[in-house]
Amino acid sequence: MKSLREQAMTTSECRGNVFDIKRFATHDGKGIRTTLFLKGCPLRCVWCQNPEGLKKEPQVLYMENKCLHCGSCVQCAKHGGVTIKQQHVCLQREAQEDWERIVDACPTRAMQFDSRSYTVEEVMEELLKDEVFFQREGGITISGGEPFLQHEFLIEILKECKKKQLHTAIESSFYTNWEIIQQALPYLDQIYVDLKVFDSALHKSYTGVDNKQIKENIAFLLQSEKKDVVTIRTPLIPKLTATPDNIAAISTFISNCYSKVRYELLNYNPLAKAKYSYLDMEYCFDENPKLYTNEQMEQFYAIAQTHGIQQFIKE
Amino acid sequence: MNLKENNRITTLNEKMLHQPRYVSIEQALIITQTYKEHEQEPIIMKRAHALYNALCQLEIGVEQEELIVGNRTKGVRYGVVFPESGISWVDRELETISTRPQDKFHVRPEDIKTFREVIVPYWRGKSLEDVVKQRCGDEISAIGKVVKINQTDHAQGHICPNVKEWLEKGPSGLLEEAKQQLAVCKEEQKVFYEAVILVMEGVKKFYMRYHDLLVSSASTADEIYRSHMLEVARICKKLSEKPAESFHEAVQSVWMLFVVLHMESNASSFSPGRLDKTLYPYYEKDIKQGRLDKEKALEIIECLWLKFNEIVYLRNQHSAKYFAGFPIGFNIAIGGVDAQGKDYVNDLSHLFLDAQEDLGLPQPNLSVRLHTHTSDELLHHAIRVVAKGSGMPQFFNDQAIIQEMEKLGISHEDAMDYAIVGCVELTTQGNNLGWSDAAMFNMNKVLELTLHHGIDVLTGKQMGPDYGSLSTYQSFEELEAAFEKMLYHFEDRMIPCCEQVEKGHIDILPTPFLSSVIDDCMKQGMDVTAGGAHYNLSGIQMIQIANLADSLAAIKQLVFEEKRLLAKDLENALYNNFEGQEVMRQMLLNRVPKYGNDVAWVDELGIKWARKFRERLRSYTNYRKGPYHSGMYTVSAHVPMGENVGASADGRLSMTPLADGGMSAVYGRDLKGPTAVLKSVSRIDNNLTSNGGLLNMKFLPDFFKTDTGIQKFANFLRSFVALEIPHVQFNVVRKEDLLAAQKHPEQYSSLTVRVAGYTAYFTELAGELQNEIIARTSYDNV
Repeated sequence: MKSLREQAMTTSECRGNVFDIKRFATHDGKGIRTTLFLKGCPLRCVWCQNPEGLKKEPQVLYMENKCLHCGSCVQCAKHGGVTIKQQHVCLQREAQEDWERIVDACPTRAMQFDSRSYTVEEVMEELLKDEVFFQREGGITISGGEPFLQHEFLIEILKECKKKQLHTAIESSFYTNWEIIQQALPYLDQIYVDLKVFDSALHKSYTGVDNKQIKENIAFLLQSEKKDVVTIRTPLIPKLTATPDNIAAISTFISNCYSKVRYELLNYNPLAKAKYSYLDMEYCFDENPKLYTNEQMEQFYAIAQTHGIQQFIKE
Repeated sequence: MNLKENNRITTLNEKMLHQPRYVSIEQALIITQTYKEHEQEPIIMKRAHALYNALCQLEIGVEQEELIVGNRTKGVRYGVVFPESGISWVDRELETISTRPQDKFHVRPEDIKTFREVIVPYWRGKSLEDVVKQRCGDEISAIGKVVKINQTDHAQGHICPNVKEWLEKGPSGLLEEAKQQLAVCKEEQKVFYEAVILVMEGVKKFYMRYHDLLVSSASTADEIYRSHMLEVARICKKLSEKPAESFHEAVQSVWMLFVVLHMESNASSFSPGRLDKTLYPYYEKDIKQGRLDKEKALEIIECLWLKFNEIVYLRNQHSAKYFAGFPIGFNIAIGGVDAQGKDYVNDLSHLFLDAQEDLGLPQPNLSVRLHTHTSDELLHHAIRVVAKGSGMPQFFNDQAIIQEMEKLGISHEDAMDYAIVGCVELTTQGNNLGWSDAAMFNMNKVLELTLHHGIDVLTGKQMGPDYGSLSTYQSFEELEAAFEKMLYHFEDRMIPCCEQVEKGHIDILPTPFLSSVIDDCMKQGMDVTAGGAHYNLSGIQMIQIANLADSLAAIKQLVFEEKRLLAKDLENALYNNFEGQEVMRQMLLNRVPKYGNDVAWVDELGIKWARKFRERLRSYTNYRKGPYHSGMYTVSAHVPMGENVGASADGRLSMTPLADGGMSAVYGRDLKGPTAVLKSVSRIDNNLTSNGGLLNMKFLPDFFKTDTGIQKFANFLRSFVALEIPHVQFNVVRKEDLLAAQKHPEQYSSLTVRVAGYTAYFTELAGELQNEIIARTSYDNV
């Protein structure tokens, strides 16, 4: 019997943890795509859309709305990992349990692992299932978490994709070493990099990490031969990133790096909130803000434009 | 281009939609009187006289705004009682037709009285319905929960006449041809040609009656419409004597063909076929000579489109459930390849799409034929119309269809020129009695009988042979062997019933007018029901492989492989509709992969049985000496066919609907998205759907809001072509769907929604967010 942490650590180096492989992804690059979500992220953005992607190790997800309260899981938990208190199923995720067996016992899949370990071959098999849909345009997008956290796995997959002549895209925070990024660059056709907060102190407080390395990497990238396939993105989080100062500072910085840089402002996504409850996590907003209207979005674009941005990506 | 501001079209549309639907016995009285007067004559002459008299006597009407005239009743959307095909059901249901749950009609009390006093006494025991019942009624009901035999109380329809020839010859030309044949034919062929001559004379008179009515009505019409009415009168007069020459004449001629076909047969799914191709020479000539512009052409087309909605079809209550919402089936195909295999598209293809976009009405059933070289222009135009949410156009795939038609013995030339009748039934044009809706075969009922000693679990009665039950089969292979025997048992019992029905049509419902526009009836002097057509097919629908695959996969995995469930426990749970066994039911639903998720072994479990079914079917020859073949579509029959089946091992509760469509996954179980659905469906061999296959998919309106979205959708359809899937149609998710998903989340678990570049399962969202999405998802602003 092993804890989840130990189960994850027994995986060999050529494997990676994947928390989703989403087919018919239509907004992560050109055409119809399959997006691979690699698990684990060094950042801790308080608004994170994919909280199941934060920890590198597999976690147990529990969706109460799917639960029959049949008790199948409780019977399999020998060490208090799952209990029912006041008609609610409670998880002790650190408990030494045979989690595979507990998850397997659930008739409705209300309880499931948020991810699983794949070999490169297994991932490729999934990614190639929609090859016929990539013929005119479209391909593979690798997202996360932070895909560079599992960089060896990532680069192996990218190499395999290129062998199959698939179009590749990545979505990253670029919080990693430039040397690692450089290894991946030859295999990438489209690159999306998040620059969430320009001010270093604020970046640290919202994401848990310093943004010095991110800015350096973006500067390198925008001077590299790949600069024309790069899109810099800022997720608009009300009051946190969606401030005129922040948009202005980011716009100035990236347009100074490369005047024709493409910039995309991602509207706030109120859907993420639901996922937090599945993981017993707290979300940054008690009251979920609404999407920005088209008019509000235009105001943000206007700020970016006055600070040097010439090319926008708008959905 | 659109005609949203066009007064003529909006007025006609409103007039049509606001007229109440009535049951009409007018033609039934004419037919009855005619039969009495011609008691001693052969059946085909009785039918010809009845049609002739209807053409001369039925009350007719015109609207001053109409550019295209003609209907089979004075009022629009009337349900015509047709005594030759079925009278007993009308007798039983006449009082409830106005209150039944599906497809209601008003009934005038005086009509009920006349019907009972004049019509019923003459026809009892003589109509198709009664004759079929006498000949094989017991067997049809004995196998009824497995096989629904169709066309037992109405004419067959489901045919694509030779529109091109009709336009080129008209009633006068066909009359002349019949006279020439009559002079040289064999004795036994004479009656056929005499019947054709009589009905053509009737058609000529029918045209003249419209001419006269238009001329007399024009004098009291609004001034702005007067000259147009006189022009339409001129057209009617001309068409009674000569073939069409102008575009307007040709369109009027096409419509009159279908009016008369409905008057003769009172059947669904007479389809015009590739009308963009057939009408183009007339359009092109008028445009070149400056007599027509695109806007005028569109107005004429929209007038025809409105007409297609003016004829509905009175079905019995049972049948109305299987074919709900008046699917009268005027199917028009556009695009596709030409005789050389090159892309065929013209102005009319686009104008037809424009008309659909403007009107958004249920008819005609507009179909786009796609192939590898379909132009981006046509594809994008079609997608923009789909985005409007009427569910049209639907898409067919030349790459999947043409070669399978050829394998059935259809010539290359005819296969390249294929069209669609009714909903999705594939046909050649103008030379084929496809009998595409012969029967629907419920494979899930067969599985139920296999799992329960041949006992119908809904009644507890023995319905099929006892080959054992789930708990007596020692292996999955043993279960499959029993299933195979049960499948063949019912398939073999179905064939004689189909033959009896076809024979009934020959004896009771010969159709001289229809036969005159189906090759080679005129050459052979033989009626189409008797086998006069060049091609004579019969199509059986296999219902539904999605549930079958899911049920077999669940049994295979949970009972025989993982042994998580005891066979006896599952058998009992199924027999008792999962009472007290919700945990087991959830396990069946959630712990086994399902059809439609690109999981090969599951998909194959369903397809395998369709192959076996079809293979056996091909060993039979139909009553007209043509081949049987198979299809996968249900229209709305997945609901009543589900009512015939008890709880199934896929977790489906007793009597609840089966999967919709025909090739679609069970709704809510396709969790891997639309590309996985297409991959799964592409595993179905195309010879299994040579009679037609139906795939339903749902998309959110958001998807079509941007050019990028339309471009991605075009890529999706290009891949559909590459995957050689025969058919797909798209429902754009509406507000009502989302409201229903809130109420019944279990049925909508695959419904995904999108906010700002993010997709999620709708039912997994919190209520407030669901409401927000519902608020955005509305066509009000389109």
